[in-house]
Amino acid sequence: MVKSTKISSNRLKMALILLLRVFIKFFNAHICNPMSSRLFIFLCLMAGVDSLVFCQQADTLKVQQLEEVVITATRNERTVGALPMPVTLIKKDMVKTMGSVRLNDVLTEQTGLVVVPQVNGQGNGIQLQGFNPDYTLILVDGEPIIGRYTGSLELSRLAVGNIKQVEIVKGPSSSLYGSDALAGVINVITERPISNEGNFSARYGTNNTLDLNASGSLVGKNVGVYLFGNRYSTSGYDLSPENYGKTVSPFTNHTFGSKVTYRLSPKTDLLIGGRYFNENQDYNFDVLSNSISVRTYGEGTINDWNINPVITHRFSNRLKTTARFYTTHYGTNSFLKRNSDDSVTYRDNFNQLFTRYEATGEYFINDNNVVTLGVGSVDESVSTSRYNDQLERKQRTDYAFVQYEWNPVRAFTVVSGLRYDRNSIYGDQLSPKFSTKVDITKKFSLKGSVGVGFKSPDFRQLYFNFNNQAGGGYSVLGTEIIKEKLTEFQSQGLIQSYLFDPNLLGKLKAETSFSINVGGKAEILPKLQLDFNFFRNMVDNLIESQLVAINTSSQSIYSYRNIKRALMQGLETDLSYPIAKNFSLSLGYQLLYALDRDVNDAVNKGEVFWRDPNTLVTQRLRPVDYFGLYNRSRHTGNFKIFYNNKEKGWEGSLRVIYRDKFGLGGISGNISGEAVPPSDRNGNGILDDYDYFVNGYALVNFSVAKSVESFRFQLGVDNLFDYTDAVNIPNLPGRLIYTSISYSLKNKQKSNN
Amino acid sequence: MKMFRSISLSAACLLFALAMSSCSNNDPAPIALTAVTFKDLNADYAPLVFTGVAPTRPTQKRKYTFFSFKTGQIVASSDSATNKWDVGFQSTNIIFNGGTSGPGSAGALVQKGIFDEIKTAPTSGYILDNKTTSVFAVSGRPATSPASATNEWWYSSGSANSTIVAPIAGQVIIVKTADGRYAKMEIQSFYKGAPATVNNLSDLDRYYTFRYVYQPGNTNSF
Repeated sequence: MVKSTKISSNRLKMALILLLRVFIKFFNAHICNPMSSRLFIFLCLMAGVDSLVFCQQADTLKVQQLEEVVITATRNERTVGALPMPVTLIKKDMVKTMGSVRLNDVLTEQTGLVVVPQVNGQGNGIQLQGFNPDYTLILVDGEPIIGRYTGSLELSRLAVGNIKQVEIVKGPSSSLYGSDALAGVINVITERPISNEGNFSARYGTNNTLDLNASGSLVGKNVGVYLFGNRYSTSGYDLSPENYGKTVSPFTNHTFGSKVTYRLSPKTDLLIGGRYFNENQDYNFDVLSNSISVRTYGEGTINDWNINPVITHRFSNRLKTTARFYTTHYGTNSFLKRNSDDSVTYRDNFNQLFTRYEATGEYFINDNNVVTLGVGSVDESVSTSRYNDQLERKQRTDYAFVQYEWNPVRAFTVVSGLRYDRNSIYGDQLSPKFSTKVDITKKFSLKGSVGVGFKSPDFRQLYFNFNNQAGGGYSVLGTEIIKEKLTEFQSQGLIQSYLFDPNLLGKLKAETSFSINVGGKAEILPKLQLDFNFFRNMVDNLIESQLVAINTSSQSIYSYRNIKRALMQGLETDLSYPIAKNFSLSLGYQLLYALDRDVNDAVNKGEVFWRDPNTLVTQRLRPVDYFGLYNRSRHTGNFKIFYNNKEKGWEGSLRVIYRDKFGLGGISGNISGEAVPPSDRNGNGILDDYDYFVNGYALVNFSVAKSVESFRFQLGVDNLFDYTDAVNIPNLPGRLIYTSISYSLKNKQKSNN
Repeated sequence: MKMFRSISLSAACLLFALAMSSCSNNDPAPIALTAVTFKDLNADYAPLVFTGVAPTRPTQKRKYTFFSFKTGQIVASSDSATNKWDVGFQSTNIIFNGGTSGPGSAGALVQKGIFDEIKTAPTSGYILDNKTTSVFAVSGRPATSPASATNEWWYSSGSANSTIVAPIAGQVIIVKTADGRYAKMEIQSFYKGAPATVNNLSDLDRYYTFRYVYQPGNTNSF
């Protein structure tokens, strides 16, 4: 099995190399000539900016090669060191040394980032500064990836074989990006065509996990093309072999990415990005239906695609304008069937479409003042079986933003921004942000930022129409449909009693946070660098489910309200030190306090109690005993050693990732029928020091690679000591051993223009 | 002089106290009240059957199990139309003998606090069961309070699809009994044997363990 896969992958590679060579010839012969004007018009129409006139100038590529440049923090290319907000940059080389293949592999090792499962215990979302995955915006090349499951975006949907770098901006960035950028923004920057080359790699490891990558780029006089393809397949894993079915069922996915750049004129550039992703998963498990275990099989598919034409035009050295069009679709389809008679027990589909038009301008007033302006519009629609009627639901957001960068002297920078969003459902939202950085000495600088972030109510909270018969019998109705549905139920005589006045269920407001980040950078000893950041996020209007009524069969009917308030605060530090010529060492740590403010107030007033589960005696909970929100670890950290010897072609890494104990909310069981004990053991519904915690754990990851001419060989082990916790951390597979080979083909004559 | 005044004052107090107690109570001197724990009251007659992975309830009778604080005993179901019972349990539902639930005058209210620290029962504010508006005594709550407060009044079961019923710590139920006396009670467990860690796939539910103090005298102190 293993052998045959390898042989076939080798053959595949040979075929791809051949194909690329043919393509290079074709490309040089035909496409390098200026494009026909008809194609140009077509591309402009796709961009939705045909009425605008553009021109352009050579980009800041040379600067990028010299210094570490990020784009996410200001939406313009800026060096990391000059930015007044907390920014983390992960470069391609590091990702390669780590041996990562999916985005969650990369993010889970970063300070302050915790990869957490979705509510059903599976999947990988990102927790940033204590915020749930719902509150971090995930972008690819500046455009949002859609398709969230109960608010969490599955990070493993994103392959990392085509990335140039990952930029992480912590703290609210709604002043530039609008909704969802409440905790921060993670922007995956993918490769552009900059030279003629081809790269192929194959990786095989534990659980029959096979990852195949091919990428190639070609650069002509005015045209560049970059293509990327990835196939990832795994037979999944099983942490509890005593139960039928696997913890993660086998799946296969494909990713295709493309980027075409075309210089329309010396001052105008066109870039068209595109992405297609498809995943198929086979399910086999037992489903509990009315307390009876039913052997079930099924299939789930995910499809998502996007297309993103961007035109950049420089009117002068001072004014750079960009017009972007982005449209993306995310769809899922799944069914479950009973093994005994092949009858369908569950069917689900979900389709989401997101389209955005945006125009921005960056104007350099002089060397010390830069203004960025932007206007745009987003159309979103969803149709799904979960809304019962399968009607398409729509919303529209129009927005405008402005950002002002002021750099009067080298040692002092101010970046302030303001964004206005107007949504067809939840109304207006204003998001200001102010950041500043002061270099106190050459070795010590301070930065601080204050900002407002927001997250609009999602389609689920507005239009959900869900009745769960199997899970105890309850209904969840979105706020936009609940009144109509309750009237309907009432006229049918189905309401037993109201527990909440339905007239008080108004329109949902956006969830908001007010955040402060204060930090700095210090060179404590020669080359020993300390980065630190204190953060404090006051979160309001969090949307929670609200029990509204009981129907005549004693089933609960829920809707949503803006009720919860939270506080997320802590400290993040990173120490880095190049111990020897090719060795670098780093130590990261995050301290986090994440609290429900209402619970915290009640605890402080002495209104919260706990019952000793052994003696059954009730006591008052002391304020120091309140631990905070579920699924947050107070301490997380990492320790990493990287080795990179470019001359000899050796590289390697040893990374230790630690996550302290945390509590689990009321999850009664995952799909394979395992009981997950909720953390609350003492009758107060909150997490306190006397409750049950999931043990803290450390993962040790190791990799070594050797490059020989155009080949690179890598061997690695993730989770070296095979740490697993089937019940509490089902998204953590055991030890994963992998080996990979890659080959890169460079056309030296043609490289770079 | 000063001293004399204080002595005479205390003497007066003592006399007054004696007079009060002797005239208000012909029964023997007040008994020191002690808390009684009642274990494993089955709140649904139907036995649970464990087959496969989860318990099933083939024959729920949906009848209340009645309890009297005065006798400390379960009251026969046939006595449902009498004053003999104070409180009835069925599954997670609790009723009190008054209003639409029974012929008595029992009502109840919830006080947040520690059972032992609650020394007096309020003299008013008791809510009577009202089936027509589905306001059962203590569950009669303002419609505007947040979900966390309204969800279930004496227990919480975590998220919507969790099935572990955990009595909320610090919810002390003050009862005006069917015969007009006062009692306080605290529900401690919903599972047989009150296990420290409940496993809802193996522990039998609908078994109430609670402790209570009943004041037999005509006073609202405990």
